[in-house]
Amino acid sequence: MKNSAWLLIWAVTILILNVQTILAQELTVDKIVEKANLVAYYAAGDGKSDVKMVITDSQARQRTREFQILRLNIEKGGEQKFYVYFKSPADVAKMVFMVWKHIRVDDDRWLYLPALDLVRRIAASDKRSSFIGSHFVYEDVSGRGVSEDSHELVDASGNHYKIKNIPKQTKGVEFAYYFVWVDKASFIPTKAEYYNAQDKLIRTIEALEVIDIQGNPTVIKSIAKDLERGGQTTMEFLNIEYDVGLTEDIFAERYLRRAPVKWVK
Amino acid sequence: MGKVIDVKIYVTACMLLFIAFCPNSFAAGPNLHGFLEADYGVKLSDDNTKRDSFNLLEQRLQLKTTYLFEGENYLASKDGIINFKGDFTIDEYFSGRRDLELRELNLSLTPLDIMDVKLGCQVLTWGTGDYLFINDLFPKDYTSFFIGRDDEYLKKPSNAVKTSFYPAFSNIDLVVIPYFTPNTIAQGDRLSFFDSFQASIAGTSSDRNLAEPAHQLSNNEYALRLYNSLGSNELAFYFFHGFDKSPRSYKDEASRQLYYQRLDVYGFSLRGPVFSGIGNVEFGYYNSREDSSGSNRLIENSMLKVMSGYTKDLGNDLKAGFQCLYEQKLNYANYINNLLPQDYFWDEQRYLLTQRITKLLRNQTIMLSLFNFYSPSDKDGYVRPSASYDINDQWKITCGANLPWGQDDITEFGQMKKNKNIFVRTRYSF
Repeated sequence: MKNSAWLLIWAVTILILNVQTILAQELTVDKIVEKANLVAYYAAGDGKSDVKMVITDSQARQRTREFQILRLNIEKGGEQKFYVYFKSPADVAKMVFMVWKHIRVDDDRWLYLPALDLVRRIAASDKRSSFIGSHFVYEDVSGRGVSEDSHELVDASGNHYKIKNIPKQTKGVEFAYYFVWVDKASFIPTKAEYYNAQDKLIRTIEALEVIDIQGNPTVIKSIAKDLERGGQTTMEFLNIEYDVGLTEDIFAERYLRRAPVKWVK
Repeated sequence: MGKVIDVKIYVTACMLLFIAFCPNSFAAGPNLHGFLEADYGVKLSDDNTKRDSFNLLEQRLQLKTTYLFEGENYLASKDGIINFKGDFTIDEYFSGRRDLELRELNLSLTPLDIMDVKLGCQVLTWGTGDYLFINDLFPKDYTSFFIGRDDEYLKKPSNAVKTSFYPAFSNIDLVVIPYFTPNTIAQGDRLSFFDSFQASIAGTSSDRNLAEPAHQLSNNEYALRLYNSLGSNELAFYFFHGFDKSPRSYKDEASRQLYYQRLDVYGFSLRGPVFSGIGNVEFGYYNSREDSSGSNRLIENSMLKVMSGYTKDLGNDLKAGFQCLYEQKLNYANYINNLLPQDYFWDEQRYLLTQRITKLLRNQTIMLSLFNFYSPSDKDGYVRPSASYDINDQWKITCGANLPWGQDDITEFGQMKKNKNIFVRTRYSF
């Protein structure tokens, strides 16, 4: 009797595990993309980090950009606000770039130029343009809307989901399609490859280091390579903290003109 | 000059007092940044200014630092920061004249959660125009603009107290300017301009003089802005009470004296996304308080000013912007009726169009820009092409041209037509 009871429990457990495996395998591609988007761009409720970018052009000349970034989720998977405070090089120090990220309409972007005490509004229709001269584009930094591409799971063997993404709107997009590798355990996108219409690989982005911070798998170093013109940018995140208690009022003109001392130093 | 020194002493004294009343003041080690720059601008046209061959030749060292209060004291608890930015210049146009141009020396703090204060020498800007200003009545340096210095120098610092309030319903900026700072404009020594006393475009021969308002409480200037976000749009209302920053009125014709007449401005602006670009409109009513009826021929009339603009990102780091400004002199009939036969007179209406195209290349290290002013009513304009190259994180080279033109000698850009130049600037930032 005792043995048969154990056997039953054992059988049920195996059944449950199997069902879970089947469920996991049957995660739709849209679900995977959605989860990856949340993990990569919406970790915790808010976050702050120091960022160091090293931009290397095709002739191996290097430039460095250092800034602090504050991020607040207004809605998980939806609107977000970003505050980017530049520290170096000297000619852009104290400059502030602010974004209110929207989902269906263009983002709102502002740039504060301290030398002129000028708050400039920036048109944000071109999300595929370079972010501060680096090989990352705006969408790499703030995320590409998941509904902007149609997704296809092309390979689920191994530790990653390989997903093919085809843009629904080709206007203003420099690629024809791209593949993203999403880690099955953490749902962190670890690699992206962009191809043109001639199936030529033109651009890659790769997560070089992923660690756990406060329970959030976090990319702390990544690299973007331009294979067409040459050149690459590494982006390193330092002093990352989540759920620091950012409030929405920081993301306003007041703090463009006067950086919030509590958060930005 | 004496006045400037007075102001500097006053500002410094205020700060020392503040610090003195804060026991245990402790500041983090200062961080020093800035740049070293050499500028050269070759003249392309002949006039009668001080020098024939160039109107820009100078070296400039800018130093800037901030001083953040830390520890247990009032200033630290209120996020007190001292900002300093000063330019040491050697100006070869005036035979190697040395100068310290203070651009910022102010104390900034947050005494209340809903209030910020900035006290001292500071650059102030608001409004929505691109090189066009309706409700920004803060001082500008048009000499710097026309000879090809960096855009930064178009804005002159003011000695002011700026208090900002952030109650739930709105955002309010109140600026009190106890020391009048005029615009820096062409005076004939470096830049030629139309001098009505000379009845022509004049250089060093110009002998007019400009009378600034006296230092007294009743001459304080006040600038107020109320602004709110309406979704993605920004709505602002403005009020200014002070003086015209350019000398447009005559105090004493016999002694060739012009002055800065009293001016009140009421305005508003709206800026936000339209047609995947950024659109803006701005309006201002200029009340010339000393001549509200417009019947005094010596004093500038009241005016209406309206502008609208649109900027769009065309992709591939190419941006284009357009603006249209309309100005109308009010009480025009009174103005015309009171003119004397020998007086120069201005049209009732003026239209000004501007266009800006900016293209970035090579990972945004090369910037090509073309800014164009064109007035179909005044038949004049001003072309400003420029190209800059960030050689690396330290070195930057910029070259460009200033090409004002005009059919007549008396219009805004027409009078500047003999000041055409091409310039080059080399900057090392640290």
